[in-house]
Amino acid sequence: MDATEAAAVLARARQGDSDAFRALVEQHSRSVFRLAYRMTGNEQDAEDVVQESFLRAYRQLGRFESRANFGTWLYRIVSNCSVDLMRSKQARHDQVRGDSLDEGAQELPAADVPGPERMAQSAEIDRRVRHALQELSPLERAAFTLRHYEGRSIDEISATLGLGTSAAKHSVFRAVKKLRIALAPLRSQES
Amino acid sequence: MTHHFSEDELTLYYYGEGRRRHDVERHLESCAACSTTYREIAGTLAMIAAPEVPERGDQYGLEVWQRIRHKLPERESGFSRFSRFWGFSGFSGFSEFPRFGVAAATALLMIAAFIGGRVWQQRSAAPAVTTATNLENREHPANLGSANSANQILLTSVADHLDQSERVLTDIMNAPRGDISAEQRWANDLLDASRLYRQDAVDAGERSVAAILDDLERSLIEIVNSPSKISAADLEQIRRRIDAASLLFKVRVMSDELRKREDAPDRSTPRSSTSTRVTS
Repeated sequence: MDATEAAAVLARARQGDSDAFRALVEQHSRSVFRLAYRMTGNEQDAEDVVQESFLRAYRQLGRFESRANFGTWLYRIVSNCSVDLMRSKQARHDQVRGDSLDEGAQELPAADVPGPERMAQSAEIDRRVRHALQELSPLERAAFTLRHYEGRSIDEISATLGLGTSAAKHSVFRAVKKLRIALAPLRSQES
Repeated sequence: MTHHFSEDELTLYYYGEGRRRHDVERHLESCAACSTTYREIAGTLAMIAAPEVPERGDQYGLEVWQRIRHKLPERESGFSRFSRFWGFSGFSGFSEFPRFGVAAATALLMIAAFIGGRVWQQRSAAPAVTTATNLENREHPANLGSANSANQILLTSVADHLDQSERVLTDIMNAPRGDISAEQRWANDLLDASRLYRQDAVDAGERSVAAILDDLERSLIEIVNSPSKISAADLEQIRRRIDAASLLFKVRVMSDELRKREDAPDRSTPRSSTSTRVTS
């Protein structure tokens, strides 16, 4: 789809043409899933975010300014849907989530890290990293994901999550501090 | 005096941000303390590789569309919203109306009965809650605020719960294949919460909410107890029962209503409290 065609599809979608909106869904679904998965770290949650993001985008399409970039606008919606989902999960299913994700990872002492086998070690790192990420607050996780995985600048994170620059920056800092503490045992193993 | 850089400044430096990058760089060459801190930060962040995102095929966009197309009502007119909900997305003009006339009329009757039932329940709920305990607890000025906020929390939680349940039901209605294990796990997670919310709704005098949660519970139980590799016929039966009870519609309407009550705190007082004031 070239730029002119994309603009036409978007204009039709804004006027309520559901076939045009379908084209947008088909075009963006994979990238939306990718971001949602990175944000939530969970396939099922990512699928929920994908659906909710497109529904939200559809509802708000009238407010979308045609000169803006649809992908950027959608990216913002996906990020915020992810934060909302993580918040609601954290509020209501804290215990369930804690149990289901990497049960007992925190109790695992550094000495139990599997020995020389590289595969086992990297799996252990992965397990602890995922657990540490799950321990972040939704906003910290979102800000960290955008900075670390998505390579977004603090200003971009601030715009995406609707935060002030200082709040965006501090969300990243808090996330990094918590991750440093959580992953310290692994670092000492590596060194 | 040497100026050390904070962890935050070093974090920004790691990510290529911050205003005094050149100063930091020079400082790190000469300061062992900052250099150690930086190595720790960099070492930690280097461990955190981007997760491998599960593959989604070329048809994924279409799958997403199939899942959401029945949930795109807000920007449409009343009738198209209604017709889409009932799966009449192919409706394109009056010529097709006879095909769907009977089903649409049935659906209208069910909706009218549902809304009528809820109005009746709202009215009939009033005397039921004018009990001594409720009057004492809720009419006391000190308790009104806490009762309202407790009810507000319940509304929010139930509305979220209904939204999630709606997604499970929608997935079941649109499941493309015979394996519903993912939906079952999800339904199972919702089942316990549904029971608790139903009880809370009963306690709060929210009878219509409790009634819908009761219906929902039955459907969730049926989904959970079905075989994961369900036959097309059995799946169709579950779908028919969900359809026959207008469950998706009820769940959606109730969720919308609860959201409206959430957004209007002054009017969000439980019906029971309102009625006690009126009747006392």
